[in-house]
Amino acid sequence: MKTSLAAAAAILLSVGTPAFAHRLDEYLQATTILVNKDGVQAQIRLTPGVAVFPLVFASIDTDADGVITEAEVHAYAERVLRDLSLTVDGDRLRLRLVSSKAARVEEMKEGRGDIQLDVDAEVPRGGQSRRLVFENHHQARIAAYLVNGLVPTDRDITIRAQDRNYEQSFYQLDYEETDRSEPVARAPWSSVGGWLGAGALVLFARLALLWRLPPRRANP
Amino acid sequence: MDARSRRTVRNIGALAVMSLSVNTALAQTATARIVSAANAFLSTLDQKQRGRVLFAFDDEEQRRRWSNLPTAMVRRAGLGIGELSAAQRSAALALVSSALSARGFEKVQQIVEADEVLKTSEGNNPIFGKDLYYVSILGTPSETDPWMLQYGGHHLALNITIAGQQGILTPSLTGAQPALYTANGKTVRPLGRESDKAFALLNALDEAQRKQAILNYRVADLVLGPGQDGKTIQPEGLKASAMNEQQRAMLLDLISEWTGIVHESAAAARMAEVKAGLGETWFAWSGPTTVSAGKNGTSYYRIQGPNLVIEYAPQKLGGDPSMHVHTIYRDPTNDYGRKLTAR
Repeated sequence: MKTSLAAAAAILLSVGTPAFAHRLDEYLQATTILVNKDGVQAQIRLTPGVAVFPLVFASIDTDADGVITEAEVHAYAERVLRDLSLTVDGDRLRLRLVSSKAARVEEMKEGRGDIQLDVDAEVPRGGQSRRLVFENHHQARIAAYLVNGLVPTDRDITIRAQDRNYEQSFYQLDYEETDRSEPVARAPWSSVGGWLGAGALVLFARLALLWRLPPRRANP
Repeated sequence: MDARSRRTVRNIGALAVMSLSVNTALAQTATARIVSAANAFLSTLDQKQRGRVLFAFDDEEQRRRWSNLPTAMVRRAGLGIGELSAAQRSAALALVSSALSARGFEKVQQIVEADEVLKTSEGNNPIFGKDLYYVSILGTPSETDPWMLQYGGHHLALNITIAGQQGILTPSLTGAQPALYTANGKTVRPLGRESDKAFALLNALDEAQRKQAILNYRVADLVLGPGQDGKTIQPEGLKASAMNEQQRAMLLDLISEWTGIVHESAAAARMAEVKAGLGETWFAWSGPTTVSAGKNGTSYYRIQGPNLVIEYAPQKLGGDPSMHVHTIYRDPTNDYGRKLTAR
């Protein structure tokens, strides 16, 4: 495989394509992960280099007609998902493909087009300290992985630590989940005790009023 | 308070007012200068050219139309330098120069020149070269209302939002290939200081600090490059609050390679913002920790603070990563001057 990739790169260089300007022999796979209390959202950008494009293209264009259809992109995206793994506190989560879109074939052929996948997963409720592990093994032999946690927009989530292996095919995110939402101040009459108290107050006020009022006189 | 103390307080107050006035005057001068240069450039254009160079200030598509890639691969809009007459070209470059510091403009020229060198070394490849840099104006040049100047092409994207006295340079991309070349008998490294100062800072760290700063994984490319507007990643590395005074000064000096591209008064205002968030600013490094004297490093680094993202990413493409560098400069709170121009 490495030999054929090198040969492809050499050919591309020799025919004078702008080989210096773009990604060449790697398949860049950049993932960002956003954690919130109920789930995880991830965006994966897949950018094949010029030399590896034929390999990647063949796995997308399954009917080999030279055109990538929406259905083929969707099917490819589902295959990528099978090469990913996401766990929280050791429990494997089901990744759901939210959307997938691909640049034009000509753009990808030149190493400047990408395939973008948006995925999400529901996270079951757990303890305060949580650990997310994301692994990407898609096209590992040609991959250049990037993975980063986004700063949480959910104020109840605080990232504590990130860890990766050298290739970034393994990513671990330790975070804390707290419930900072103050309990809503409940009106005194919103409970049974409150209703009883309010009733007693009304009764007391009425009695006091009756006690202070002068006795009614008979009409002349 | 005795008379002497009152006098001291009065003097300090007077100095503060004077300093503020001087800064304001300088900023107004800079904005006035840029507006004047913009109008001078526009006056050299015919109606058709003006139609091509001018965009609405809120044209989001044009705002985001920038890249590290050559213009043949990612089309830019606006007017290409190569399409202009000598007088128009001179006016266009005078406009770009008016918005930048002398050092910033020199860096920009060296990046453009590198592309010309690349063109020659690639057998006069028409997708490279100094003619393929584009200028565009979003909005109407004004000393009071916000507008934007864009200048860019291969390895360069300057997005300068001018809002009254403010000049915001984020997001901007600088890059170079070759990142070291010879011109008029002199060695030129357009982004050489970015490499040298980063290595100097890394070498000034003690063992424990280096352990914190150096990431244990490879970073193959920019994380927040073109097309990644609006994302803020979790910072990593060594926090500036864990650096000593001298190291923090070195970090600021390194940051100034990006903040100092824009004209002096805007750069000073930007540096004040960066300094205010310095304690919460992180320095992270990935790759080799040594470099040959006079060469560019092959390591990735990132500086990230509350209102700052800088990434320096040598590229493997084309062989030697020290000869091909991409950098990005962002303010996640104020890219495209959104903080100032929100309506």
